[in-house]
Amino acid sequence: MPPVNNKRSRRIWFPVIHSPWSDVIKFLLVLAALTWLLYRGTESLGYNWQWHRVSRYIVSVKDGQVIFGPLIQGLLVTLRICGWSLVFSFTFGLLTALLRMSDSVVGRGVARCYLELIRNTPLLVQLFFLYFVVAPVLNIDRFTAGVLALSLFEGAYASEIFRAGIVSVARGQWEAAHSLGLSTFHLYRYIILPQAIRYVLPPLTSQAVALIKDSALVSTIAIYDLTMQGQVIISETFLTFEIWFTVAAIYLVLTVILSTMADIMAYGLKTTS
Amino acid sequence: MQGKELGDYIIEVERIRKTFPDGVQALYDFSTRIRRSEVVVVIGPSGAGKSTFLRCLNGLEDFDSGTITIDGIPLDDNKENRFEIRKEVGMVFQLFNLFPHMTVLENVNLAQMLVRKKNHDEATKVTMSLLEKVGIPDKAQSYPSQLSGGQQQRVAIARALAMVPKVMLFDEATSALDPEMIGEVLDVMKTLAQEGMTMVVVTHEMGFAREVGDRVIFMDEGRTVEEGSVEQIFSNPQKERTRQFIGQIL
Repeated sequence: MPPVNNKRSRRIWFPVIHSPWSDVIKFLLVLAALTWLLYRGTESLGYNWQWHRVSRYIVSVKDGQVIFGPLIQGLLVTLRICGWSLVFSFTFGLLTALLRMSDSVVGRGVARCYLELIRNTPLLVQLFFLYFVVAPVLNIDRFTAGVLALSLFEGAYASEIFRAGIVSVARGQWEAAHSLGLSTFHLYRYIILPQAIRYVLPPLTSQAVALIKDSALVSTIAIYDLTMQGQVIISETFLTFEIWFTVAAIYLVLTVILSTMADIMAYGLKTTS
Repeated sequence: MQGKELGDYIIEVERIRKTFPDGVQALYDFSTRIRRSEVVVVIGPSGAGKSTFLRCLNGLEDFDSGTITIDGIPLDDNKENRFEIRKEVGMVFQLFNLFPHMTVLENVNLAQMLVRKKNHDEATKVTMSLLEKVGIPDKAQSYPSQLSGGQQQRVAIARALAMVPKVMLFDEATSALDPEMIGEVLDVMKTLAQEGMTMVVVTHEMGFAREVGDRVIFMDEGRTVEEGSVEQIFSNPQKERTRQFIGQIL
């Protein structure tokens, strides 16, 4: 039989290919290649690296006192924006998902219009619309306008995730809950959503990561978030690459922490049932 | 079952029709009346409309025309009526449908607390006595996935009983079980029947039907082909179609 032959020739290679060291070596090779590319690129630009000037914009010590630089202050603003937007976007998302699955024709129509409108226009345009057109009418400040724009935008995507999660709960669960006489609210609260959350958590985490990255756009309406602070520093110091790389690294740390937290939560959910 | 006192009619089904969206006619002018404490066994080939009939009885499935009345409450578009009926009608499913994210105790407590508004201690007391009854009091803290199929189905029965229903519906409750687990579930069902529970049972377990069934309804193509006492249907069927079916399954 051919498989026997096949097995024999592959047996020699398997230990080599599947040793964890081969993965490490491959990873290091890729990293080395990228570093080399970057080095060559900046060298041809003739860029004068001044990394030593960056640290004061993050944190500095003056007279024995720790002073947080503009980048950290920007990070705090970004965190506040993302925190609120996360809460609101998940709320909008869940409500929209429930509306879309409701018996009400009006409810489904409203949800549908909201989804199509938001998903088919750029976030930047929505942000400007809310800040320049809606905000003066409703008399809301730029921070609220920014949070609202981000929440509405990410909420539209979150609602699709919630809907998929709810639909993926087995039909028998709905039937069992109905047969016990549970109300619709209790059905969702105790049966459907606790089970849907396990399907939803991974895509919802990606959505939260996207939210953090998209939040950089609020710098366009002069909110001094991480990105805006970076721009200000660059315009004053011309440390273009150093500051942008630092800003990117801070975003990266933020999103990695978020993903790790989600992983821990997912693991917790898995072990409890 | 011999010597059992049957009460007044608790379920009245009048000429119900049901056509699924794909055009399949599941029930065609189906009528029946069931007395309090009666155990009705519904048999028939797959696609005969047995399950659809059962699911119509507690409003899991809508029907197109006809009427269903349960203990004087009409099952209609009125939401209040529907909830009232679901409270009074317990259902046991082929695939158990336990809530996988809750322990056995929580599964059985849930509806008592949410629908019957009992507090946790009262509900737990009822739950423990029911788990005792179905023979698995030691599994209260287990999750459904840690139980065998037979144990899961017994929990499902306990969960339905916790609502103190007036009627229990069994939709092929033993069909998904390994043969050695069917007995333990049937035993619980037999106990219920002996205690005077009104039961509508869709099953292929002819032994069960013979032992506790008061009446057998043989369905095919959405209607009753023949109905009568267990003895009559199994030993002396009048219709050719019934004879054929009984011949195949016995």
